[in-house]
Amino acid sequence: MFGFDFGFNFLKGMAITAKHFFATYVQDIKTMGKWDPPSANLETGIPAEITGYITTQYPEQRLPVPERFRYNPMLIYEQETGDIRCTSCGICAKVCPPQCIWIVQAKDSAGKTIPQCQEFYIDTSICMQCGFCSEYCPFDAIKMNHDYEISTYERHESWVLDMQELLVSTRYYAATHPKAWEREEAERAAKEAEKSSVER
Amino acid sequence: MERNPKDVVRDLIPDYAADILAEDEHLAQTVLVTTWDKLIKNLDALYNWGRKSSIWPMTFGLACCAIEMISTAASRYDIDRFGAGLFRATPRQADLMIVSGTVTKKMVPIIIRLYNQMPEPKYVIAMGACATGGGPFKEGYNVVSGIDKFIPVDVYVPGCPPTPQALLQGLMTLQAKLDGQSIKHAPWYRSPLSEPVPPPLLGPDIVDPRQIPVLAERIEQQEEPQRKPPKKLHRVKVAKIPQPELEVTEKAAHFLRERFGDEAFKQDGNALIVEPNYLQDVAKALRDEMGYDYLANLTAVDYIDDGKIQVVYHLYSIRNGGGPHIYLKVDTDRDDPQVPSLVPVYGGADFQEREVYDMFGVRFLGHPNLRRILLWEGFDGFPLRKDWLEAYYEQDHKPFDSRWPEGHHRAAEDRNIWGRNVRYPGDFDPEAWNPMREDVMVVQPEELARLDEVRSEKIIVNMGPQHPSTHGVFQMRVLLDGETVVDLEPVMGFMHRNHEKIGERNAWLMNFPYTDRLDYLAQMGNNFGYAITVEKLLGVQVPERAEYIRVIMAELNRIQSHMWSIGFLLNDLGAFFTPSLYCIEEREMILDLFEMVAGSRLMVNYFRFGGVAHDLPEEFLPLVKKLVRERLPRAIEELDRFLTTNEIVQVRTKGIGVLSAEQAINLSTSGHMLRASGVKWDLRRNDPYSIYDRFDFEIPVLYGGDIYDRYYIRILEMWQSLRILEQALEQIPEGDVLAGQKKWSVRVPKGEAYGHVENPRGELGFYVVSDGGSNPYRYHVRSGAFINLTALSHMAKGYKVADLIGILGSIDIVLGEVDR
Repeated sequence: MFGFDFGFNFLKGMAITAKHFFATYVQDIKTMGKWDPPSANLETGIPAEITGYITTQYPEQRLPVPERFRYNPMLIYEQETGDIRCTSCGICAKVCPPQCIWIVQAKDSAGKTIPQCQEFYIDTSICMQCGFCSEYCPFDAIKMNHDYEISTYERHESWVLDMQELLVSTRYYAATHPKAWEREEAERAAKEAEKSSVER
Repeated sequence: MERNPKDVVRDLIPDYAADILAEDEHLAQTVLVTTWDKLIKNLDALYNWGRKSSIWPMTFGLACCAIEMISTAASRYDIDRFGAGLFRATPRQADLMIVSGTVTKKMVPIIIRLYNQMPEPKYVIAMGACATGGGPFKEGYNVVSGIDKFIPVDVYVPGCPPTPQALLQGLMTLQAKLDGQSIKHAPWYRSPLSEPVPPPLLGPDIVDPRQIPVLAERIEQQEEPQRKPPKKLHRVKVAKIPQPELEVTEKAAHFLRERFGDEAFKQDGNALIVEPNYLQDVAKALRDEMGYDYLANLTAVDYIDDGKIQVVYHLYSIRNGGGPHIYLKVDTDRDDPQVPSLVPVYGGADFQEREVYDMFGVRFLGHPNLRRILLWEGFDGFPLRKDWLEAYYEQDHKPFDSRWPEGHHRAAEDRNIWGRNVRYPGDFDPEAWNPMREDVMVVQPEELARLDEVRSEKIIVNMGPQHPSTHGVFQMRVLLDGETVVDLEPVMGFMHRNHEKIGERNAWLMNFPYTDRLDYLAQMGNNFGYAITVEKLLGVQVPERAEYIRVIMAELNRIQSHMWSIGFLLNDLGAFFTPSLYCIEEREMILDLFEMVAGSRLMVNYFRFGGVAHDLPEEFLPLVKKLVRERLPRAIEELDRFLTTNEIVQVRTKGIGVLSAEQAINLSTSGHMLRASGVKWDLRRNDPYSIYDRFDFEIPVLYGGDIYDRYYIRILEMWQSLRILEQALEQIPEGDVLAGQKKWSVRVPKGEAYGHVENPRGELGFYVVSDGGSNPYRYHVRSGAFINLTALSHMAKGYKVADLIGILGSIDIVLGEVDR
């Protein structure tokens, strides 16, 4: 099975481990310890060579999340007017795979339904963060939040999110999802322009 | 947006701790002398600092979340910086239990025993939605709605799964809680210590001993769920059967008619409906004379309106180099279902027939060991029958009416009399019931006789389900003679999350995110398989760009999965974590790209019927090109240099766990198991799907059939994946990524389809039956890892216990897919 080089390959493996070990110190000395972790979402990108450790010093450093990152859903209201975008059409509740969205449609004084939601619940102890609700929402009213630092000591109260807990402003959304925001605003502007030209 | 971590921690300090601090400050201002309390406060600071900086978690993973937990422990996030990196394999040395994943009814007694064995003070983190409240699998019949129904939980970490940074934040939350405790109030220095939690028993459903006194009277109050059938369909389109499939079926029918005459079978489209009496002979003739030597898939469909259960077999011919498969079907009466077993013809039918028995109650006559496989003996009913309703049953099909427009939130446990996910049969008598678990070893009589001659004592060792080397919650019941494995029985189902039952309640589209959670190391491949299967029925044409994106994703996925497998195989062989860390590093780079494209590291949910969900972001292609051309080749080459020729690796793996080519085919193994045993079989070549026929790549084959070859074939396959990626990245065109409009509700034409992809763990197949509605009538997953396990006992016999770990590692199971 083995020739005269018995043990040699074993040492070769040790050399690779040693290389990794020392590369870390070389890296530290070169950068004086100030060093951003590699990430596809940072300027550091993906390093081509294998050098030293790649540890992120969480919480001092945080790996940024990409725009499409999905955590719990959030509902969006207009910053200027305070209007909630949701019209309670129910598509998000119908497309939700684990059925964790509960919506009560609002009614006017005559008892007729109006395009607003009265109650909106998301049970995050069921939610699988698939993003279908935001993907299929025709009004851009529900989006996926980026905030993942939300651990709790209790779950029955704090994991069933009602409307107040779900609402965020368009400004918040524009800050976390700049590209999507730009695209959606442009689409909306185009639609408005089309509408007004038709009216004219 | 960006929050200061100190603020985060301050927010999280519990109220009582803040009170203590305020009180102490007040005391220090008013009393000049050093008080006892002040002394204790100083002592507390030191005491808590020591405790919070040396939390030892238990090496204990359940499901998908465990993968993220391991990533947290690996070099990129490095949980060791918090002093919590010393994962202990035994509960007696651990003080933190991270419940990482879905807690099933079969697993919960084991978790509680582990918890009871942990010394005080002990803490529990419920990681992810499943451990907290059942998560997406909550409605499943084998899933517990939250581990806090049984043991106290200190911190809940939201997410599905939580990212490593989210878990670290959860750990900091726990540290903040520890900081708020005082040695004065520490209950663990007083006697008596806390009472152990009684583990639940496995009866017709899970039985909590604390509920036994009230069980009998409450069973009478229990409401039987009423089945609400879905609305009738008006217009049903029928899917077209592809021509090649019809041709092979004609050919097989012609052969069988000459051989057995007309009464043995009748042809129905692309299926042959065989008379039960003829089944074994027909299968034997097809195998020996027509070359259909490979049983790909075996499952059943409950046609409740026709009063029959249909067992379905899919056969291919590896000997003739692939081509379309043929369907055999056997009808049997629903009230007394009996079908002859095909184990004598195809060894691979073993586990699959047991699964059908478990889920449908079909008895396979002549099966050597017909017992439940995913659930436990004594479980009440056969869950995949259409009239069997789970405890949290609401309606036959989603979406449920209770969600909109009058969707007042009401948790499923509030609707249930037990407050948890259980239901007992009306005639269940807890007094007369004897909670015994049967432990049957399957030993051949001649082997026993031979053992008796040696006059040595045989012992049964239960390895797992909580064992670091079983790659999840999997148990091997091993009969040992000294250190030699005499017999082995795999025990599974500890992660049975009722994927198929939920899949049949779901609408077609809803199954995509669930497939992510099947084999959670190969999500893109799972999405791929489900998409192409349903597209067969839909008959949509996928745009070119989307096809390329799909292939790029699937191949990146194969590399990251193989990286993980190699690392953990070496772990099993004793090279503890050094190779794994290097492998996980490379994997992280690929996961970054998945996160960028699809939005999540693990649960990508990226494919749609007719394409993919989003186009690639513009910064993606330069990054992936750099990765594929520069980083990954270097990494694979280094791994190869590091491990392949290593003497210890060779001694531990060469000639161990040998599986011959004949066995590999007969036992229906797939993927790397076949290729390492000298069978050149890869679905990307032999039954090309998507656009794989355009790329220039080879199918590596090795002939040893041992652990070493099953390791080395992965290195070779990664090189081929890089070749495909290189070509795909070169050729990818511009254009649409989705055929037609984005639709949230999909209707699929009536018909049935079997689609499969070559996943890192072998053939992943989906068998779907559509009745023309918005939900699948039958949704079955042919899991590569599950069927590969059929070969485990054949491979392990005669080797030592230490080799057994390596043999299991080389099959490389992922329990999400094994148990589904």
